[in-house]
Amino acid sequence: MNTTDELVFAGAARQAALMREKRVSPVELVTAYLDRIDRLDGRLRAFITICSDSALEEASRAEAEAVKGEWRGPLHGIPFAVKDQLDTAGVLTTSGSALLRANVPPDDSTVVARLKAAGGILLGKLNLTEFALGGTIRFPYGQPRNPWNPDHDPGGSSSGSGIAAAAALCSITLGEDTGGSVRSPASYCGAVGLRPTWGRVSRHGCFPAAWSMDQVGPLTRTVEDTALVLGLIAGYDAKDPTTSRSAVADYRAALAAGAKGLRIGVITELVDGAETHAEVRGAVREAARGLALLGATVEDMSLSFVHHSGGVFMALCDSEAAGRHRRWLGTRPEEYDTGTRRRLVAAGLIPAMSVHRAARARAVIREQVLDALGKYDLLLAPTSPHPAPPIASHTAPITSKEEAAKRFFGRRSYTTPASLAGVPAISVPCGFTASGLPIGLQLIGRPLAESTVLRAARAWENAAGLSTRRPTLSAKAAVA
Amino acid sequence: MADLGPDDIRRLAAALSLTLSSEDAVEIAHRLNAFLDALAALDPLALERVEPWPTSPEGYA
Repeated sequence: MNTTDELVFAGAARQAALMREKRVSPVELVTAYLDRIDRLDGRLRAFITICSDSALEEASRAEAEAVKGEWRGPLHGIPFAVKDQLDTAGVLTTSGSALLRANVPPDDSTVVARLKAAGGILLGKLNLTEFALGGTIRFPYGQPRNPWNPDHDPGGSSSGSGIAAAAALCSITLGEDTGGSVRSPASYCGAVGLRPTWGRVSRHGCFPAAWSMDQVGPLTRTVEDTALVLGLIAGYDAKDPTTSRSAVADYRAALAAGAKGLRIGVITELVDGAETHAEVRGAVREAARGLALLGATVEDMSLSFVHHSGGVFMALCDSEAAGRHRRWLGTRPEEYDTGTRRRLVAAGLIPAMSVHRAARARAVIREQVLDALGKYDLLLAPTSPHPAPPIASHTAPITSKEEAAKRFFGRRSYTTPASLAGVPAISVPCGFTASGLPIGLQLIGRPLAESTVLRAARAWENAAGLSTRRPTLSAKAAVA
Repeated sequence: MADLGPDDIRRLAAALSLTLSSEDAVEIAHRLNAFLDALAALDPLALERVEPWPTSPEGYA
């Protein structure tokens, strides 16, 4: 390692190897990230809480253990940060809301406990849209900003996770994906984000957005790190009865298989749709050609129900969320962000028979996705129809139903087919716009086939060589 | 169906014991009308015989 920048941008897998070789220490790594957070996060606002003291104490302990040759696990001494939707023992956990400004849980969520058991060091809690719902207008803990252009949206709801991964403010992060909340910030910020199969990862200790679709997933700088983290957090948890008892694969070992022999279907409605930005279409088509050159069989296919996905998802997700927030909407409405409150009340007023119809439509969309995955190993699409939009574009009041539909349903049709079907999907960088904003490629896999998703993403990542590109960051004054 | 207006929204919200500001009622009307349009688009589809079974990873395994 020649410079601190090389160290902080190196993947966690590489950093862990350097620790074992005694070429870097846990204290050095934690200090490097704390310095970086201090310098950059006043503007980026990735973090809600920074655990400086406890992280340095943990790093000293990890260093002493390393000197004695005692290694807790694959993340020994590696700093991680998690979306503030995930419980952390003794550490403020706000879910991005002023309503939970004093919430300090007594226990760790299962995923945090598993990363700590693997030797990871909790560096802090990451910013998000309020209650992981999206559409926040005023963030109570600061406006998160895209590292590639701070006037642009970093994506959500795992906004801080995407920023921290892309700007190298910690080694690895966790987010939570209900309808694209890991994949969207990965796409907008130029990071790698995986939504695992529903039930593959425990949700114990995760504040629910929508119970029937929530799933915790890694958001990192490399596919290898995503595979590393998934291997540590996946698996049955007695505290979450929805978790699968299926064996957890060796995801890192699977990466070497490459893309050769895979059958990949390109979802034409999403790649060529009128809403898809020309530069996004071009980059995704180029990635499809690249995967074909790597030995995959790639062909166009159709998912005819896909354009219903955004509306169906929102009706189901938001009505679940409205039910959960019923009491607070009545007793503490002014403590919600305006956008969140309006979103939840609107969903609470959808007729029950319409919600039930959406549930039936979900079953049809899931059947179409699973049928397609019977023919193809993977489905390919853009993660988002457009690159990160300006922050100012979605903070103005909504003045028509057409605007509401465009703002909330359209883009969600790109990520919600996987959410509605409960299948794994990854976003991996596939290019940049002329103005320098990242573009994300989405690969959707069969249930519990995360290994296939990851091996194709890794093959593309290696061929594209985009993971070495870094945002130009400046330490400007803190902004609200 | 005709679009709902802010007064409709306030009456519906009152049934849930929610009190809304004028600004909230106006924007919630736009949001709810968008929902109703999106879900009305499902009406022509033959969904009556589809069972809305919940996601189950064990069902896949």
